[in-house]
Amino acid sequence: MENKRNKPSPARFWMWFNPIGRETGGWAFILNRVTALGLIFYLFLHLIVLGQLAKGPEGYDGFVALMHNPYVIVGELLVVAAGILHGLNGIRIILTTFGIGVTYQKTLFYTLMAVALITILIFGIRMFTA
Amino acid sequence: MSQNWNITLKVSRQKEGETPHFDEYKMEVNPDEYVLDAVERVWAFMDRTLCYRHACHHSTCGACGMRVNDVEKLTCITYIRDMTHDGGTLKIEPLRNFPIISDLAVDMGTLYSRLESVGARSVLPAPEAEIENPPATWSADDGQYIRLADCIECGLCISACPSAATSDEYLGPAILAGAQANGLKRNPELLALVDCEHGVWRCHSAFECTAVCPSFVDPARRIMDLRTQIIKERFTRLFHKA
Amino acid sequence: MTQTTASKNISAPKYGETAWLWLVKIVTGPLLVIFVLIHFIVNHFTAENGLLTYADVIAYYKNPLIPAMEICFLAVVVTHSLIGLRGIILDLKPSRSTLKIVDWILVILGVTAVSYGTWLALTIASTGI
Repeated sequence: MENKRNKPSPARFWMWFNPIGRETGGWAFILNRVTALGLIFYLFLHLIVLGQLAKGPEGYDGFVALMHNPYVIVGELLVVAAGILHGLNGIRIILTTFGIGVTYQKTLFYTLMAVALITILIFGIRMFTA
Repeated sequence: MSQNWNITLKVSRQKEGETPHFDEYKMEVNPDEYVLDAVERVWAFMDRTLCYRHACHHSTCGACGMRVNDVEKLTCITYIRDMTHDGGTLKIEPLRNFPIISDLAVDMGTLYSRLESVGARSVLPAPEAEIENPPATWSADDGQYIRLADCIECGLCISACPSAATSDEYLGPAILAGAQANGLKRNPELLALVDCEHGVWRCHSAFECTAVCPSFVDPARRIMDLRTQIIKERFTRLFHKA
Repeated sequence: MTQTTASKNISAPKYGETAWLWLVKIVTGPLLVIFVLIHFIVNHFTAENGLLTYADVIAYYKNPLIPAMEICFLAVVVTHSLIGLRGIILDLKPSRSTLKIVDWILVILGVTAVSYGTWLALTIASTGI
């Protein structure tokens, strides 16, 4: 029987994001990976956009004016959310790697996500009422 | 006393050269029976072509691992009443991340050969086996007492692992747990096997393995401990260049 | 195999993801938590008007600690994210040769990003002197 499983397959790459049958830790893994990819995209976007500063006041001030629409603010909130989620999840990974909290890793995850949610809500309120 | 239930079994069928499909079997069961009993009933009374594995029926041999309603289970100890209801369906599929030989039987060859390559021990001296309420100090004599290792080599952890889903070369939780129990101090040659992209660093702390292990191996904790062992070994080797 | 080659096999980590690379990733992780907090607090609370005009940014960058902090932040975040990205790419099972090419691309990307960011920060800091 030909074993097709050793060939790299795009379908199996999407298995990362398959949520069926997953438990808490599996969700944490998906969340961490998705936020990581989002943040990488944002990082390079941010660096390029900041190049506007080198164009002097017309470049930068014009650009800032453009950024004052609600779609952009939602996008910025998503970035903040991704950063908080990824950072807190990362702390969970460091703790469990060094043996701290392995037995209660699910509780740890829920607690950290609760902290994340509250922080993101605070940010959201501030960003939309400022 | 529980009444009998009427349930439907949706069993994944795949013979060589065929496309995989589900066959449905309706049956009456006692909900206190195990999922494995229902699968056996299919084979015994309805369809002799069904292929599956079973042996001890008491969670020692590790042969009967399957996915029941999308979750990895050891079917000989999984009650039907925990997985469905009267009139409900049990979806039975083979383990993931192993080549399928026929229907519900998968090829466990890589699991066994890799366990051998890390020298996973099936019997451990008592001071090295993790037991409940160990004495504060072991005396020299206590090494004569031995204990069977927790791992029954059922493969549920590898089926559940998201990293094993993307890579066949990834050693997998069972094997890494076996390497951890062996210990890097005793077997430094294991370092080359586990300190690489197919070893511990492919683990992304999803903890799915521990969630499905039917036997208290806790592979996730062991992989974390193995990482600590590797880092310690690498640091000491920095200062002890032979 | 002689004793020395055997111990060489044991000591040298295999190509791919290894203990050291992973260690860098998780050391830079908490560093980033700190840097992000500093970056955010300083940019949005300490700076006048939250840096929304060109003039504000120039004035803000006059303090040499600011470009210094931002450059360090950039170096750490690029390191962490590119090592992490590499880990994700490893899950795609590239062959040895593909992996070497990927590594070169990541290194060039990282060096370019950090150099560009450093140049930008220093340009802003020296504007208007």
